[in-house]
Amino acid sequence: MSAPRSRMLELGSGRPTIELVEAGQGPNLLFMHGAGGVVWDGALPLLAKHFHVYAPVLPGYGKSAALGLDLLEDQFDLFQHGFDVMEALGLEKPLLVGESLGGWIAGEMAALRPKEVGKLAVLAPVGLWRDEAPVTDLFGLSIGELLPFLFHDMASSGAKAMSQLTTLMSEKDDKTQAQVDQLIALLMGFRTAAKFLFPVPETGLERRLWRIRVPTLVLWGAQDRFIAPSYAEIWAKHVKNAQIVLIERCGHLLLQEQPEASAKEIQRFAGI
Amino acid sequence: MKFTWFHLMPYRWLPDDFRERYHSVWVDLPNGIYDPVKGHDLYNEYLDMLEYAEECGFDAIAVNEHHQNAYGMMPSPNIMAATLARRTSKAMLLVLGNSIVCYNPPTRIAEEFAMLDVISGGRLIAGFPVGTSMDINYCSGQNPATVRDKYREGHELIVKSWTTREPFAFNGKYTKLRYVNLWPRPIQQPHPPVWIPGLGSIETWDFCAQHDYNYSYLSFSGYKRAQNMMNGYWDRRVALGADDNPHSAAFFQQICISETDAQCEKEWWPHVDYFFNKCLHLYPGTSEAPGYRSEASLRAGIVAQVGNTSQNMGVNKTWKELVDQGYIIAGSPETVRQQLEELIKGLRVGHVLLGCQIGSAPVELVNRSTKLASTHILPKLRHIFSDFEDRWWPKPLATGRRAVPGAYNKAGAIGAPR
Repeated sequence: MSAPRSRMLELGSGRPTIELVEAGQGPNLLFMHGAGGVVWDGALPLLAKHFHVYAPVLPGYGKSAALGLDLLEDQFDLFQHGFDVMEALGLEKPLLVGESLGGWIAGEMAALRPKEVGKLAVLAPVGLWRDEAPVTDLFGLSIGELLPFLFHDMASSGAKAMSQLTTLMSEKDDKTQAQVDQLIALLMGFRTAAKFLFPVPETGLERRLWRIRVPTLVLWGAQDRFIAPSYAEIWAKHVKNAQIVLIERCGHLLLQEQPEASAKEIQRFAGI
Repeated sequence: MKFTWFHLMPYRWLPDDFRERYHSVWVDLPNGIYDPVKGHDLYNEYLDMLEYAEECGFDAIAVNEHHQNAYGMMPSPNIMAATLARRTSKAMLLVLGNSIVCYNPPTRIAEEFAMLDVISGGRLIAGFPVGTSMDINYCSGQNPATVRDKYREGHELIVKSWTTREPFAFNGKYTKLRYVNLWPRPIQQPHPPVWIPGLGSIETWDFCAQHDYNYSYLSFSGYKRAQNMMNGYWDRRVALGADDNPHSAAFFQQICISETDAQCEKEWWPHVDYFFNKCLHLYPGTSEAPGYRSEASLRAGIVAQVGNTSQNMGVNKTWKELVDQGYIIAGSPETVRQQLEELIKGLRVGHVLLGCQIGSAPVELVNRSTKLASTHILPKLRHIFSDFEDRWWPKPLATGRRAVPGAYNKAGAIGAPR
């Protein structure tokens, strides 16, 4: 497995400086992380065996200072930020992959500048809304209660790893400094997600979906309780070049819960 | 010293098994359990209590703002203050809403506060809370990552609209107005005194010192647990070069008074129990949206007004524990007087906001407590800090200059038969 490298990436004045996590060799894969940040386990190490994976970290997450978020005032700043990262890395027509929050950002980028994206793979992306199937409130549940919405199988290794976080939420004043730092990092990351998704994660994406013309893979966990797989049908309806793939025995966090199956689908779609 | 009678207006009929059946008193408690006909009686009973407090000689009466909350039924404090403005004539009106970020455009707040000031003859104290995360984020949909910035901008617009005598354009990030031109404008000049209710964040202390506003520390956990926080407040003022005037600070304290300590426990306990074990029943998942507090405030680990930990919220405590730990000041008039004096001198606050109605307490109990406070306690404490000027108190029209509600109808009737 390729070990990930982390470095700071300067995007220019008036723009945030961010952390970039990268690993592997091969065709360029630009990965937009979800609300949990870049978690280097699950499918990412598998993808790094076949691709050069670039995972930029949004302001507020990881080592990307939260102050940078002030420079992304609205969602269009956020999408332009994605292109700034591509430019800084010299990526031309990469395979653009995004999970949940990142799936939305990736989809918007493909809609905005279709000629600059090679292929698009979105994994249970947010951004759409149906009253009859409300998206779970990411910001209105304690972590312990959120987990069953993110995983199909709470006994899976991904779910077990994440359930460690619930200990951070204990009401006792017995946290170590490392735990306090981890808790604050988690909250500052969620703050970034909230800036663009609070209180209802509907972003106007549906009006722009038809603009996505690049080959598109829409991956969804068949048992996703966070955003129902029925949302994949909206993508199928509007995105001309989309293939929809449901992964069985899988909840919202595909890369964590079914790493092999998810990585395999992305490789197949990329033609590798 | 000045004493303000402060109402929260809790709903009185939460079921016995409330804690088992519902996960919170706030945000998503179904309104099916609210009975608007009972609510009609309750609003009027509660407003009567506030009017009685004026009759007993309290310096001010206070209302606040909460949303989708069964212990605080005043989503619009301005409506409550408007009824009080017409039914009272002496007491100042402390309105510890309006949560600036919830109103669009914020000039609505400037207008309504100006109306209240004009109707009441200049008796208004204007409160500008940021608002709890439950109120402003979960109930009002304001973005937690930007609310502080939006608050600062809204505050600037309101004060500018109060103090500017010509129309001006306001090009803010959150509000853009081509013509700001407030009608009416407030009686008090340059504007009504501003009080900022807070939960102990350093940013709020700095904001108050910078603008010379009163800082009102609102806590349900009582004066003993507030000592460290208020020490921090005074230290911060020294560090900022501000004076140590006690009137720059106010503290909220719930009190119960009966003839004797034993009688107090007997008649007040069910209502106090109702408050701490039902009204403060909160769900952690919707207690604080990510970004509501700055990283610095998170790191400081400062305990918020509500929500942080159940063990310091007064849940599952006995009467003795609540009294000993200062959550409530309760007992005979002399017991309460002693502890109030301890509070005033210990925290160094020139204003005490007394929560004289607690939980399910009915008017007969509450009014007796109010009366005992006004006759046995307040007169003995008023002299404290009298050598400091109170710059945070309204400057109303002289009593003789203030209109008397109803007087115009009487005067008109004299000339009526023609």
